[in-house]
Amino acid sequence: MTLPPYSRPLTAEDAAHLLRRTSFGATDAQIRALVGRDARTVARELLSFDGAEAPGNPFDPAQAATPAAGLQLIRARWLFEMLYGPHPLRERLTLLWSNHFVVGTDKVKNVPALTEYLSLLRRHAATPSFSAFALDVARTPAMLRYLDNDQNRNGKPNENFSRELLELFTTGIGSPTQQNYTEEDVKEGARALSGWTFIGGRGNQKYLEAPKFVFNPKQHDNGRKTYLGKTGNLTGEDVLALAAGHPATAVFVARKLHRAFVSDVPTEAAVKGSAETFARTGGNIRAVLEELLSSEVFYASRAAVIRGPVEFIAAALRSFGSPKMEAKQLLNLVQTAGRMGQLLLQPDTVKGWDGGREWINDTTLLGRMQLAAALSLGANAPKLDTPPTPLALLGTERAATAAALNGLSAKQRTYLMLISPEFQLA
Amino acid sequence: MSLHRRDFLKYSALAVAATSGMPGFLARAATQATGQKTLVVIQLTGGNDGLNTLIPYSNGAYYAARPTIAIPKKDVLTLGPDLGMHPSLKPLMGLWDSGQLAWMENIGYPNPNRSHFASMAIWHTADPTQAQAEGWIGRIAEQIGDPFCASNIGSSTPQALRAAEFSLPSIDAVDNFQVKLPAGLEGAFGAMLDAPRDGEADYLVRATRQMMSNTQKVQANVGKYKAGASYPEGKFATQLKDAARLIASGTGQRILYVSLGGFDTHAGQRGEQDELLATLASGLAAFQTDLERQGVAERVVVMGFSEFGRRVAENDSAGTDHGQGSVMFALGKGVKGGIHGDSPDLEDLSLGDIKYKQDFRGVYAGALSGWLGLNARDILGGDFKGPQWLA
Repeated sequence: MTLPPYSRPLTAEDAAHLLRRTSFGATDAQIRALVGRDARTVARELLSFDGAEAPGNPFDPAQAATPAAGLQLIRARWLFEMLYGPHPLRERLTLLWSNHFVVGTDKVKNVPALTEYLSLLRRHAATPSFSAFALDVARTPAMLRYLDNDQNRNGKPNENFSRELLELFTTGIGSPTQQNYTEEDVKEGARALSGWTFIGGRGNQKYLEAPKFVFNPKQHDNGRKTYLGKTGNLTGEDVLALAAGHPATAVFVARKLHRAFVSDVPTEAAVKGSAETFARTGGNIRAVLEELLSSEVFYASRAAVIRGPVEFIAAALRSFGSPKMEAKQLLNLVQTAGRMGQLLLQPDTVKGWDGGREWINDTTLLGRMQLAAALSLGANAPKLDTPPTPLALLGTERAATAAALNGLSAKQRTYLMLISPEFQLA
Repeated sequence: MSLHRRDFLKYSALAVAATSGMPGFLARAATQATGQKTLVVIQLTGGNDGLNTLIPYSNGAYYAARPTIAIPKKDVLTLGPDLGMHPSLKPLMGLWDSGQLAWMENIGYPNPNRSHFASMAIWHTADPTQAQAEGWIGRIAEQIGDPFCASNIGSSTPQALRAAEFSLPSIDAVDNFQVKLPAGLEGAFGAMLDAPRDGEADYLVRATRQMMSNTQKVQANVGKYKAGASYPEGKFATQLKDAARLIASGTGQRILYVSLGGFDTHAGQRGEQDELLATLASGLAAFQTDLERQGVAERVVVMGFSEFGRRVAENDSAGTDHGQGSVMFALGKGVKGGIHGDSPDLEDLSLGDIKYKQDFRGVYAGALSGWLGLNARDILGGDFKGPQWLA
């Protein structure tokens, strides 16, 4: 089963919806430029990004004076790319993958390791092979360090990566009645992954030295193993391929894509449609996304994804037309996102942020109100030539919210739209 | 920025109007919200190693299994002939000596799950089948009909505080917990919220209204507090101070929830766990001192847990992997100090882990019925017996 395609020409509201989900947000003019176009063509164009980066990024992590400064610069450099870069969908996907193949800066503080990890996520953002993606991530020093596989040696297993590979990166646990893997698979996987480690860049002093993946054959367990039903002298590569190619992985990854692009509570039927495309194409994420982003189910799901803090910020500024901001303001925005629950590259646990209603509580709502005021009414609010329209901020020109805006100044209208439920949803 | 700090009373009309669109339990009168007793729950996130917290220092098997990371006998803070505390817990010795610190041994649940997230969900929902989405504290809110009966101190709400239709409040920092609307926009803000909506947009409207009512309640009270103890540096202690502040100023929560993370010690455990336990103990000791000086220590107990313990044998990274049974602790004047349960049996293990002997839901049941005066059976979905840890 594939997802039924959306066959009508895009309306302004369709286009606003598409750009809210795939580009954080967009200006009125960017939205209107897509009116009348064909959904499949537009999806294909959005997905055909290259490695081009935003010009003039002021943040260079390689210049960091301390490890902590390095982390700040990495985050700010990334936020700059989300706000000003030529490929917002690539960055939206990078954000999604950083919340799938999680590493955390509580443990990983090496600048080149994190930079390499991020550029790998970017390179694989719409990967034609999920399996190749998973393998590449597993061998980054960032991941080797974060989940301790650098400590995993023959006869001295460390199961941390092996467990999370199955539970969080590929198959998922399954249900209590139908588990996708056993404790034995975790143990055997750890044996197969033994000997994968890295050299260089260890310790606080070497935070700017690039670490490098190495396979240490002396520390690899060469014995027979049984993993997800296959037996043999399995290697780490075998384990990655078996986990990534497991039928449950197609569903697990498809559900994540649906949660990002369709709804916080996706329907299982739609997830299954994408999972089948994933399986049929051998884990081709680009193919899954192209189909998804031009489907009926996508265009039927409005205002169903609660924007996370980083999306909230990027959506506001993208909808404003990406006005210039001082470097210091951008650094502040990185910290603000953290106070609203999403410090980039630092989720509380390896599971990442759950998203959806989990983004919303009293404290984060207050944070959103304060930020909205700063971006619209504050003395240092970005200067805008054209105030953002209801279509850009609310996704529709007929929002119920609009009536409350009558008689207010442009800045006040912008403020109220930014704190409206409609803006907090994509 | 031209924002005026506004008197919260000006929002009372908004806040009252807010209750009309609430789901059932949120709209009921919050008559029981100002109960006298408070439970403070401490979550140690990541799987705290119980064996290196409450140490079976007379057991040779403990030292045999942990040649690198065992706590040397000479460093153990002796509590009895078999068990003693990690040296980092020294700030709690005064509470132990005065009978205000309880340890509960071999706590767990049937069919232990070694996933952090599945296991944490089990502790949060009090449901080892993981069939429920609501948290055990969320169900309390439903039982007593008050969404403000519990608050998390922190920026993201744990599943324990999730109710059917709502998450209970998270208060990241008491001082910032207030709404500052720009002058002249109150009417438009109210009209904006009043527009009819459904789905997630309606959820966000309800969340916003609830937040405005909660902030108002907190700010109307917290000015009364003056710290009665000096707290150590750091987020955990600051959050405990906020908890003391909410309790002492009578904001009315029955339960406050504070987390300390970082206990996933797969490698280099000694350094990491030693530091975390020191943070835990120094923070809690300051908290208790503060409560004493505020004159509210009689009505507060603390109950601490982690999602699982760690394997008995150390791994070769000088750390430990995910295990099963572990310890819980409780402290306060209402607690029956001592060790509840037997020293862990290191000769009879389950897949290398300590077997649990006491169900954590029995410990919860004590807190619910014995301390908070609630119907534990309704909240936990069954009768659970546990250690008699309350005085």
